[in-house]
Amino acid sequence: MTRKAYTDGMESAPRWIMVFLGIYLSVHLLSLYLWHSTGLPFSIPGTSASSFGVFGAGLAGAGLWFCLAVLRSFPAGAPLRPVWILFALAAVVQIAPSALAAILGTVSLLNGAAWMGYASPEWMDRLQRFASLAGGPLRLALLAAAMQALLRILRKFGFLARPRAADRAVFGLFCLFTLCRFCEAGAASLAGRPIGTGEWISLAGLPILCVLFLEAMALRRAVARMGNGLVARGWMALVWAVLLTGAGEAALWAIPHYPQSLPLAMFGALIEISAAAAFALVPACLVAAQRHALNPATSRPEDLATGVPALAR
Amino acid sequence: MHPKIARLIAYCDSEAGADRSGRIARHLSECELCRGRLRRIRGEKEELSASAAAPALDPGRDLDAVLSAIAAWREGRDGGAASELTSRLQWQLEKYFGVPAMRSLERPGMRAEEWLGEADRMLDVFLGPEAGEAVRDDCLRGLAWVRPAREMSR
Repeated sequence: MTRKAYTDGMESAPRWIMVFLGIYLSVHLLSLYLWHSTGLPFSIPGTSASSFGVFGAGLAGAGLWFCLAVLRSFPAGAPLRPVWILFALAAVVQIAPSALAAILGTVSLLNGAAWMGYASPEWMDRLQRFASLAGGPLRLALLAAAMQALLRILRKFGFLARPRAADRAVFGLFCLFTLCRFCEAGAASLAGRPIGTGEWISLAGLPILCVLFLEAMALRRAVARMGNGLVARGWMALVWAVLLTGAGEAALWAIPHYPQSLPLAMFGALIEISAAAAFALVPACLVAAQRHALNPATSRPEDLATGVPALAR
Repeated sequence: MHPKIARLIAYCDSEAGADRSGRIARHLSECELCRGRLRRIRGEKEELSASAAAPALDPGRDLDAVLSAIAAWREGRDGGAASELTSRLQWQLEKYFGVPAMRSLERPGMRAEEWLGEADRMLDVFLGPEAGEAVRDDCLRGLAWVRPAREMSR
């Protein structure tokens, strides 16, 4: 039985994700500070919209790649394999419909439908809606199922613990936010104001996000009982990813309620990018831990390598 | 699929449990490679117990050397290799999971073999079988009474 030696540099993937995210956030926050202090007449959300898209797509693509790398390392019958299948599916439903909508939704050389004359505005609109539905509620449902399976395994190892008051408070706050959003939508509907498809899709994702919050709080307690090892860090990234997704939803809801002079759209986009980075970190941390195990050149301190006493050999 | 070295050791010590022992015995009846591994484990265990039971002393040594030899012999009789393996595995669990996870495996009255089995299962489940096997091999490397699976299969 021979083991493959990995020299693909994926061991440092979490560090690179954090470095890129740090640079990205620093540049945007610095530009925001300069804009605020000098009062320059340019629109920050407008100038950074394309970079948000490219960076977000890059992170989602990296996340899917790491998920597939992890999935390959868990053979059929391994307890964590269903969890990683669901994570990989969640990454696919986030990327594939968005990429399809981006390609087929524009008149470009890549758009075969436009060449064949099928690119009607209704068809494009339907595709965009499908992309939002797949990237929203469907993806969240897959993540919730994955976390449920993960928590079941953690329970078997005795890592699950009762949630604390702080966990309950965070979950309660998000439930309250969901209730407010539904009440607002109900009031708007009664007043005869039409509710857009995008808003319906966002509302459909909120109850699932509530479930994800509950699971994230349970996972946070389990990780606290586990420690701060290489594997535990990946699960902690998942907790942060869910919390940041919830914060992104709250920011999206808050934007129309405040004057445009406040750069809330930019903050919302930065939160979404941070959430995407945290989701990419989940498989990246496990890939790094596996590479660390498979390339054990420096994985044991010298003082432990002494073996049995010489006399006993 | 070949049983892991740690499981063969457990089988050798009659600690693998009835079901697993049955499975390993069936596999051994068909697999020459694993029979060779088992022979090697038994041979090395016998060597270890023989050397631990009768340590060879150099009559030319002074009293301090004799005393330290006795201390080492006592250490060896108490299972020095097993405690070394345990401490290495504890260090690995601490690295991959964390100190609380490593401590959560320890229960009062738990035997070393049970602890090793639990640690083994945890590595396999959360890190994947291949990486778990690599961690075990790394822990076993350099211990006198057993060789890593990689070296044994060459």
